[in-house]
Amino acid sequence: MKRAHFLVSAVMLLGVVFAIPRAAAALTDTEVAEGLLCYACPGEPLNVDRCGGGDQMRAAIKQMISEGKSKGEILQYFADKYGEGILTAPPKRGFNLVAYLGPFLGLLVGALVATLVVRRWSLTGRRSAIPDQEAVASQAPLDEATKKRIEEELSQLDKEG
Amino acid sequence: MITLGILSQYAALAFSLLAMAWLLVGLLRNDVRWIHAGKRSLLGVAAFATLAAAALGYLFLSNAFEVEYVASYSDRALPIFYKLTAFWAGQKGSLLFWAWVLSLFAALVVYNNRKEPDDRSTPYLYLVLSGCLSFFLFLLAAVTSPFETLGFTPPDGQGLNPMLQNPGMVFHPPALFLGYIGFTVPFAYAVAAMVTGTSDASWIRKTRAWNVLSWIFLTVGIILGGQWAYVELGWGGYWAWDPVENASFIPWLVSTAFIHTAIIQEKRGIMKVWNMVLILLTFSLCIFGTYLVRSGVLQSVHDFGSTGLGGYFLGFLGVTLAGGTYLIIESYRDLKTPNSLESYLSRESTFLFNNVILLSLAFATLFGTVFPLISEVVTGNKVTVGQLYFNQVNTPLFLILLLITGLCPLIGWRKASAENLRKSFLRPSVSALIAGAGLFAAGIRQPYALVAFSLCSFVAATIIQEFALAVAARSKLSRESSLLAAPKLLWNMRRRYGGHLVHLGLVLIVVGITGSSAYKLENQATLSKGQSLEIGKYTLKYENLRNYEKFNRSVYAATLGIFSGGIRLGELDAERRYYVNAEQPTTEVSLRTTLVDDLYVTMPGIERNGDITLKVNVNPLLVWIWVGGGLMVLGGVIAIIPTRRRVPR
Repeated sequence: MKRAHFLVSAVMLLGVVFAIPRAAAALTDTEVAEGLLCYACPGEPLNVDRCGGGDQMRAAIKQMISEGKSKGEILQYFADKYGEGILTAPPKRGFNLVAYLGPFLGLLVGALVATLVVRRWSLTGRRSAIPDQEAVASQAPLDEATKKRIEEELSQLDKEG
Repeated sequence: MITLGILSQYAALAFSLLAMAWLLVGLLRNDVRWIHAGKRSLLGVAAFATLAAAALGYLFLSNAFEVEYVASYSDRALPIFYKLTAFWAGQKGSLLFWAWVLSLFAALVVYNNRKEPDDRSTPYLYLVLSGCLSFFLFLLAAVTSPFETLGFTPPDGQGLNPMLQNPGMVFHPPALFLGYIGFTVPFAYAVAAMVTGTSDASWIRKTRAWNVLSWIFLTVGIILGGQWAYVELGWGGYWAWDPVENASFIPWLVSTAFIHTAIIQEKRGIMKVWNMVLILLTFSLCIFGTYLVRSGVLQSVHDFGSTGLGGYFLGFLGVTLAGGTYLIIESYRDLKTPNSLESYLSRESTFLFNNVILLSLAFATLFGTVFPLISEVVTGNKVTVGQLYFNQVNTPLFLILLLITGLCPLIGWRKASAENLRKSFLRPSVSALIAGAGLFAAGIRQPYALVAFSLCSFVAATIIQEFALAVAARSKLSRESSLLAAPKLLWNMRRRYGGHLVHLGLVLIVVGITGSSAYKLENQATLSKGQSLEIGKYTLKYENLRNYEKFNRSVYAATLGIFSGGIRLGELDAERRYYVNAEQPTTEVSLRTTLVDDLYVTMPGIERNGDITLKVNVNPLLVWIWVGGGLMVLGGVIAIIPTRRRVPR
């Protein structure tokens, strides 16, 4: 079991190590294009677009990469030229922060509610698990066959996943 | 044939309205005969909708270009296969496809329930189905008919967009539609259960196959869409977080959450209200997706533009949401049960947290998709929210989802003991650590990639460990060899292991996404014959250029010899195609796929002197996205193969 387990890990690891180039490549025009829309085709990401207007933008990106400009500098150049609507991610300031924080706030609220729900339900579960003395006294003890059947059904429930 | 199509649409609409009327009369008079009449009317809807669909198919095959829809999406040179599939290439045909399939699904529900005695919920179930059918058939008959004529017959049609002439694209839209439409059935059952105050899990049990099947269709649709984008669009990617792509992904996420909590209701009888909320959300989001494609409110490469249908869909969505919310509030008392868990740490609680993550992802995707509209309303400035944003926001959420996917199977139902947890977690955790350390030592430094691969190792290890232990236990008990015990176990507990296969598929998809996005290589160059281009371990040599005619296109193909370490691995043909009736040539993708990486080549330009411009990508591990998608679908199919119920003695 242990051997199989480590074998699987090793195979996965080797596969990934061989598949992935050793060092991350230098900045490419596609990497920059992911952050931009084509100015000529409304709504179309530049890395998807294939029109003449997109070609001009891609040529400008290539030129700037060869000049050693960073991705941020190139994106800012296009934002200055065409407005911030050209960027595929709104700048992290002002009302745009709502877009970035909203999902994580949603996650936080969801996790909080789920935690409270689990806490409440497990408290209810524990309370109902504590037997009422009078009720216990009034109940006839379960016979062995019933106990066995209950255990079997519960373990079946676990097996069925 | 045009008249037959129009009349069939009207007849189908009439029968769906009749079905509603009979069912309402049956309800008011408490008379089962009217209910039966309503059910028979639904069969009538299916018959006439099928006739209308057949008529449109025939019009495409017979080049009936006097029909505006046929002239817009077909031409004489289009191969027969694509003529038939042009049926759903546009807005009008896809709407008829929707109504037709929904009518067949409604008829199937009637057929499946033929031996079941009618109960109080029956009329409501069929009322919802016939109501939805009436909506779609009304749009077809009164607003946007695919049988509209031009008033003259053009000599030829405008043809199908060359990019849509691809097998992946042929099956991508109908698969998505089947998923969207399929969720109407569980939604109808849920409404019927709420109206009648049915608080048991019978509606969940009856709709399990519909839920999973619809989810499978959505998965197939999304995967095929990604695969089509990859092999057809030529930009080297498969998912661009386009609003319409998101519109299919959001109901997928919510329905995944629903499928998980439906299991809890079935097994433990809890989370009844929550499941109603989730199925209402799933169905509403399916309608929302349809609204987005047809409203023109957001710019997308997929949408049909402003079709004038946006208002109708928004109205339908509003009625669905308002009605559903009202029913949930009204039936809250009936559905509310004293929910209890035996422990904080139980599979039930991990399912709840899995729901939180899935819904957070759905919310993040929905929020990002509509944020441009929100921003415009609040600030007057319409910003763009695209792939860069979604990658930043959704990636951490995905990693948490992956972690929970690994944790769930390790924690048993009801209560997990400390000893049990220690035993279950040890091997997967060690596996994740080894993977992380190994990759770090091998030079992988990107934090997301390291975390993603380690988590993949963790999840895969939990699944393998769980299966290996179960196989060992079975072979010990039954004295079978492990080789025999494994398939038997998989078959006997197919619901459980089908689910695990889906999770394993997810792991492979994450491996593919991480490898191909974090470590892709790219190069572009203009070459003369005999010249070469280097990328990673590959060298591509431009050897030859040919021109030939095939079907409805003229093709220029450059032959490229592929070498690695001085050894010739084979060759690729990079193509540019000039389709009849298309203004622009299209660039075809040439692909050399191995389990390790994809060599992805496009030819954006050919000069008059025979020089070619090549754009080449190496996408590591990308093929595992498709393998993982296939595994997810296979797991889903295995999970819904019915089991023979034991008859209690």
